[in-house]
Amino acid sequence: MFDIKTDTRKMPIEHHFNPYEMNGGTIVGVAGEDFAVIASDTRLSEGYSILSRENPHLYHVQPHTVMGSVGFHGDSLTFNKTLQIRLRMYEYENNKKCSTPAVAQLISTMLYSRRFFPYYVNTIVAGINNEGQGCIYSYDPVGSYEREVYRAGGSSSALIQPLLDSQLGLKNQGSFELSRSYTVKMSRENVVALVKDVFTAAAERDIYTGDAVFINIITKDGVFTEHFKLRRD
Amino acid sequence: MSERYGFSLTTFSPSGKLVQIEYALNAVAAGAPSVGIKATNGVVLATEKKQKSTLNDDRSISKIEPITSNVGMVYSGMGPDYRLLVKYARKLGQQYIQMYDDSIPTVQLVRRVADVMQEYTQSGGVRPFGVSLLIAGWDVDENVPYLYQCDPSGAYFAWKATAIGKNHINGKTFLEKRYSEKLELEDAIHTAILTLKESFEGQMNEENIEIGVCNKDGFRKLTPSEVKDYLATI
Repeated sequence: MFDIKTDTRKMPIEHHFNPYEMNGGTIVGVAGEDFAVIASDTRLSEGYSILSRENPHLYHVQPHTVMGSVGFHGDSLTFNKTLQIRLRMYEYENNKKCSTPAVAQLISTMLYSRRFFPYYVNTIVAGINNEGQGCIYSYDPVGSYEREVYRAGGSSSALIQPLLDSQLGLKNQGSFELSRSYTVKMSRENVVALVKDVFTAAAERDIYTGDAVFINIITKDGVFTEHFKLRRD
Repeated sequence: MSERYGFSLTTFSPSGKLVQIEYALNAVAAGAPSVGIKATNGVVLATEKKQKSTLNDDRSISKIEPITSNVGMVYSGMGPDYRLLVKYARKLGQQYIQMYDDSIPTVQLVRRVADVMQEYTQSGGVRPFGVSLLIAGWDVDENVPYLYQCDPSGAYFAWKATAIGKNHINGKTFLEKRYSEKLELEDAIHTAILTLKESFEGQMNEENIEIGVCNKDGFRKLTPSEVKDYLATI
């Protein structure tokens, strides 16, 4: 029988340094015909504590490219810093800004370079490509990436992704067209309204998502911002 | 006598010289002229970019290069050696940002680049860089302009105004007469063009000279049409 007074002293206690930490947060990206939308909540957490209610997870890396990065905040920040340095080198050497598909590929190689001690982040890149189309790329922590129409990443991605499949992808809802399109045929206003709704829904059930949403709408004219309040519990 | 010790970089001559470095300086003195002038509100770099033949299409190749947002440089001497140093300098600039989250002060960048050049005078199997660099920068904290020269030996000097490359002695003499502490950037650009003109064979136009300026808004190269406007005023 287990005796708490004597048997606890016999058992070995392991201490181990954990290099990672879960700081929560959710990001959503949607690609339109001539725009791209990327949104993130602004809550930063650690365990059951809130570290900040005003910390967006979006990084404006090039004039027409925004990166969303959630997971371990330390890695988010460092990855962004390193990416900015690489993009500056690109600009000096090539005498031009880095296009969104090129940024996307660069991020993949940078993430994979840390294959054996990964950046603990879920990344989504949103932007306009050289043809003026909206594009979204999503990554796993070691750089596996794909261009998609829409993607949710982060702590409440499992709650949001099915909603996007239903409303944007119209999956298994009777459509017989094989869509090879990488963009959604919805207006900017409707996409933004949908994004606000999905975050409202996610904040209901995910404790790590809430406080506010930062939305970046990227068009050929630049990046526009919207701010939307969420429940703070 | 010195020539007997010219074969090896890592052997001093009896007079105390490293002859390879002397020869590297000769390579610089044979290169196209470059000029740098520090004004009260900025620095100007100018260089001759003569094409060897009318068939050359060097429009995409630049001699004056930005290194960081606030530092730029130009050279006289061997182009390929310069290319490498530009790459080194840019990386060193970014490494500083990564470590200190601040843009690199000009003298720090100059010291780091000069250290690279010195390395190539004290290593086996390498030769010194056949270039001298003129580095222009604006330090945001102090709000002052800087102009430095880096030599193949790894030595660096701060200048108010200088000329390197072919005819640099005449160039410096010309600048000694023309330079004043109260010079402003616009006048400095004018003076730089005149200094280049002293050694220029043929007609100067916006295609065969390059001009770069560094002021509180950072470093940038002038566009050919801006160069044309300045040429029209001389």
